[in-house]
Amino acid sequence: MDEKRETEEQETPQADGPSEANEKALDVESLDLTIETVEDRINPSETNVFDK
Amino acid sequence: MNFPISLAFVPQGHFTQPYLALPCLKAWLRDKGFEDVEQRDLSIEAYDYFLSPEYLRRAQRRVQERLPLEAYRGRNSLPFAELRAFRSAAESAVSADAVIADIHDAKAVLRGEDFYDVERYVPAVRTLYHGLRLVSAAHFPSELTPHNFTMGYANDRSEEVLAATLDEDQNPFIEFYRERVLPGLIERKPRLFGLSVVYGSQLIPALTLGRLVKEALPDCHVTAGGGFLAYIGEKLMSAPGVEACLDSMIFHEGEAPMGQLAEALSASDASQPVDLSEIGSLTWFRRANDATETVANAPAHPVALGEAPPPDFDGLPLDLYFSPQVVLPYDINRGCYYGECTFCTLPTVIGPGYRTRAAETIAGHITDLRDRHGVQHFSFITDCMPPGMIRDLPEALIEAQPGVPVEDRMKWWCDARIEAKAYTREGAARLFEAGCRKLLFGFESATPRLLKLMRKAQSPRSVADVARNCSDAGISVTLYAMVGFPSETVEEARATVNFIREHKDIVREVSLQTFHIDEVAEIYRNPEPFGIEILSGDGDLQLYHDYLSEQGMTQQQAAEMFDEMMNALRSDLPIFSGDNIYYFMQKSHYFLHLARGTTPDEFVAQCKARTDSHNTPGPHGHLQANPARSSVTLPFSHVAAANTLADPLARAARPDFLTGRFVADAQTVAEEQLPPLPPKNRVLLYDKIGHEFVELSPDGQRLLQAIDRAGGVAEFLEALPPTAPEAIERITGFISQLQRQGLIANTAAAPVTSTPSTPEPQPAPL
Repeated sequence: MDEKRETEEQETPQADGPSEANEKALDVESLDLTIETVEDRINPSETNVFDK
Repeated sequence: MNFPISLAFVPQGHFTQPYLALPCLKAWLRDKGFEDVEQRDLSIEAYDYFLSPEYLRRAQRRVQERLPLEAYRGRNSLPFAELRAFRSAAESAVSADAVIADIHDAKAVLRGEDFYDVERYVPAVRTLYHGLRLVSAAHFPSELTPHNFTMGYANDRSEEVLAATLDEDQNPFIEFYRERVLPGLIERKPRLFGLSVVYGSQLIPALTLGRLVKEALPDCHVTAGGGFLAYIGEKLMSAPGVEACLDSMIFHEGEAPMGQLAEALSASDASQPVDLSEIGSLTWFRRANDATETVANAPAHPVALGEAPPPDFDGLPLDLYFSPQVVLPYDINRGCYYGECTFCTLPTVIGPGYRTRAAETIAGHITDLRDRHGVQHFSFITDCMPPGMIRDLPEALIEAQPGVPVEDRMKWWCDARIEAKAYTREGAARLFEAGCRKLLFGFESATPRLLKLMRKAQSPRSVADVARNCSDAGISVTLYAMVGFPSETVEEARATVNFIREHKDIVREVSLQTFHIDEVAEIYRNPEPFGIEILSGDGDLQLYHDYLSEQGMTQQQAAEMFDEMMNALRSDLPIFSGDNIYYFMQKSHYFLHLARGTTPDEFVAQCKARTDSHNTPGPHGHLQANPARSSVTLPFSHVAAANTLADPLARAARPDFLTGRFVADAQTVAEEQLPPLPPKNRVLLYDKIGHEFVELSPDGQRLLQAIDRAGGVAEFLEALPPTAPEAIERITGFISQLQRQGLIANTAAAPVTSTPSTPEPQPAPL
């Protein structure tokens, strides 16, 4: 599992090369920029103070 | 008297404050001459043990072994049956290091002055929640939350319950007991050990500990009692195998039986059988040779509460609870003076009759507790106060604090019944002066037809009047509401929500629950007037039953309506909106703000401002990617898994929160009807400061990394090649969303601090 993880503090410009070169690698006009959050962190069935 | 007794409140109960049962027993036993009584809240001790860096690090390693994320890569689909494991694996992989790094500080925030800073409070609460997810993943499919503990074993089948007590892989409490509880007990050698089981979530942990204690201390008599056992105890004591975990069980209130049990055991030789047949409300195992016989004694007389001692909290770890100031429970009365509601079985739990302490006694007791423990806050344990008490208690409390200004008096909250003649404007004002800061009323429904069927003897109009009077006096009002009462229609359920919406200026919180039928309720014994047919079940410990209704919503429709109502409430009530709901969910946490002098209006305004700020772009400045984040690539969408698991069909496949039931065939139905997830390359990120999960596409991740390399948002945008305005708009919109999620931060306004991390391999080049 560890080798799959990415810790982004480690992604220094030095490691990834000049920023301009990387930005050119992005096809900014066709990026999938969906962003989703997980609302289930609060389980509504547990929003019940009645018995606890 | 040299007769050591140990009492344990077993996991799982809420972690914000102590429970009342053991202090009542300890006080009673002391009055009867048993001075050597140890009481332990093993629930808070277990939470504190699990939520430690050392334990969580071990849990992280266990998750990596038991739920490796690699197992999901290269798959063509992910069926419903694997979604929970996948979600646990993904969340643990991305959040464990940050949770471990911050868990100590998170507990300190909740226990200290930073509790009152919402920007510290919410991430700290999330850290605890996510720590418990890591603990749960390490014992998958078991699940420990701040509100519940469930395993893959059905709570309503004794065979499964007993098997769960032996499952070293999935039962986290076996190791906890062995490490943290048994050594002390073995050294202490109690002759009598009492287990307090108030909730269904405590059943397996209680029997687990009972078994371990009986193995380690054969001469110790192990008994159990508490609210949940009042419901299922008779069945449990008839189930084969329970005699390996318990020697007896006490029904209803425990003081008198526990005292008599201690007297009988102390007068006998520990190695000899004792005849316990004269002890009221006790069911026990008579053991002879290899045979065990279950003996159920006659009921004991209820305790005369007016003559009972005040609860004794000595020995409980009051500094360990996750609250900056402990809120002590105190029982002003027992039973319900009204006692007519057709759905309610609470009076059954405590025992027969309604009994109360005098107002002057209550005031004297809590003043003594204040002085002894240095506390200022109380939750009064009561089904409701009768009108006379609503009149007399404020006077007694004020008189017991002569010369103390209103703002410095002891503060308290409690459950209440709508009594329009008692909660007048003057009555409510007097309650506020006497320290009352929050009241929780049984509202149930806005439909008079249903209220009549429930025999509530109240009208929506009286609810509104009482809520208005209390709110105007400065007392925060919470309403208990119900969905799915037999014959209730969709329109009637929506009327309940609409009533709350129309009164959201005076109703601050709502405790919504779906209706359940238990075997003790009148509606179970006499279903005909309610137009329902109760279905039989096959669990030998079954307490709750499904039913068919002649009219109105089905149980499934009621579960769906619960979601609709909850969504509406979360949209309309500021304390329910966004992350503010954590205050509601952590028992006394909102009350502590009220007790400190924040008015309900002020608190609501803070919550609303916080929610609004999260929905609007932050201030301009030097925007940078938040470096304190971690990420993991996923072969399936974590959000899609979470959304599927939130479906009512999926929730039905898990033990119900209130009842602990596994609904028959629910897992099969969910597997058949909920489609498997298709593969999808996603990236799950964890904001190590806000402690939130966010899911992006790989493109989104690349863009965030590009902002990193550019040194900021402005630098990134400036360096872009000529780009269509629509694309620029999409990118800036995306950046705004990242900012709201804490992944882009305004470093000019609030410097981002990075948490330490272990160097790890670089991701594949973009």
